[in-house]
Amino acid sequence: MGKVTIELPSVLGPIVDGDRTLTFEAETLPAALAALTDRYPALKVHLYDETGAFRQHVLCFHNQTNTRWMDSIDVPVSDGDTITILQAVSGG
Amino acid sequence: MSVTAILGTSKGAFVARSDKDRSSWTIEEPLFKGWKVTASGRDETGTYFVATASDVYGPALHTSKDLKNWRQIEKGPAWAKDSDRKLNQIWTLHLGPGRFYAGVDEAGLFASDDGGESWSPVEALNEHPTRPSWGPGAGGLCAHAILVDPSNTDRIWCGISAVGVFRTEDGGRTWHPKNQGIPVVLEDKKHKDVGFCVHGLAADPDDADTIYRREHVGMFRSRDGGESWQRIENGLSSWFGFPVAIDRRSRTLFVHPMESDEYRMPTDGKFRMFRSRDGGDSWEPLSKGLPQQRAYMGVLRGALDVDHLDPCGVYVGTTAGTVYVSRDAGDSWTELPCTLPRVLSVSVFTDG
Repeated sequence: MGKVTIELPSVLGPIVDGDRTLTFEAETLPAALAALTDRYPALKVHLYDETGAFRQHVLCFHNQTNTRWMDSIDVPVSDGDTITILQAVSGG
Repeated sequence: MSVTAILGTSKGAFVARSDKDRSSWTIEEPLFKGWKVTASGRDETGTYFVATASDVYGPALHTSKDLKNWRQIEKGPAWAKDSDRKLNQIWTLHLGPGRFYAGVDEAGLFASDDGGESWSPVEALNEHPTRPSWGPGAGGLCAHAILVDPSNTDRIWCGISAVGVFRTEDGGRTWHPKNQGIPVVLEDKKHKDVGFCVHGLAADPDDADTIYRREHVGMFRSRDGGESWQRIENGLSSWFGFPVAIDRRSRTLFVHPMESDEYRMPTDGKFRMFRSRDGGDSWEPLSKGLPQQRAYMGVLRGALDVDHLDPCGVYVGTTAGTVYVSRDAGDSWTELPCTLPRVLSVSVFTDG
């Protein structure tokens, strides 16, 4: 069981009462993300699409690794790990 | 007496407030900053609802008693995991009396029987036999207009782009296309009763069978609940446009014509509203106080509302972020003291 930090973008701040840096105890990355949406159920529709996958333009990083490039996100987390949710920036 | 307008934009909602005179307005700081505010409304209990959307984070429905403290509804409209559809936006809300309805993109209708806390798909419409032939318009495949007969709430009309108008007479158990007299824009090989591009609907408050229909190809009226439609364009500067609104008290109609589906801007750079006081038989231009030179902004389908006071107030938001208000049924107009992001939705409420 590791103590991990989840960081959220500012536009989602109101859904988590303004505190965008949150800590959870979890053993795996999916468990940490589940703990996030268990605490803030309204987040779920904003992070995931109808199939349960991350929305097309939502990025999730485990430390420095984009989860989109991982073979599986079912990996253990350790004390001090950071999970960062970002919106994919495209164009400009 | 006070008047409150929720101005939904591409970057948040702005609440405008005035007294009954409607000559002096305050504009509050944005709600849902950064989110599209695509629809709003208030139910009979005075509870407000706002629909938000984001290209990144998707749509949601929120509720508030005071327009300050908001709560996201967790069981809002949602397609099932195995539906192969995505919920992109909530386009319109019908908040009773009785059942609530929400029209959405990807097109479909959802209903709530518990004051908006949970929503279920209206299966008979969403899975209509013509569904495989439904195609999107420029704004997507969206259910954006809902009318309910106040004297018989089992009678409902739903406008879907670019599909057409459907009517149910049995509370939503069966639905039938009602587009007779409307030129088709996207003819389907199999289903000839869809492929119509409705832009907006409004019904006579005392006669639900009299319906006004903004269509991709013109302005129409039905006097038989949608069984047949006839053109009513006498006096309009052009046939194209999106919203139509009707004053409940005087039955005055308001529209904003734009120069054709190709250009979608005011004709000759003159931003004019049009009014009909004879049920659409004739239209007159309204321009006093509206920009009449080099004005090329449009009006989206949700960005027009009326307040039903005497005389009627009219509120129109533009794609340039300006909002014009008339407090004399369209005779003259003033611009609200703000320049907002692109205006998507306008809802007006009166109290006292």
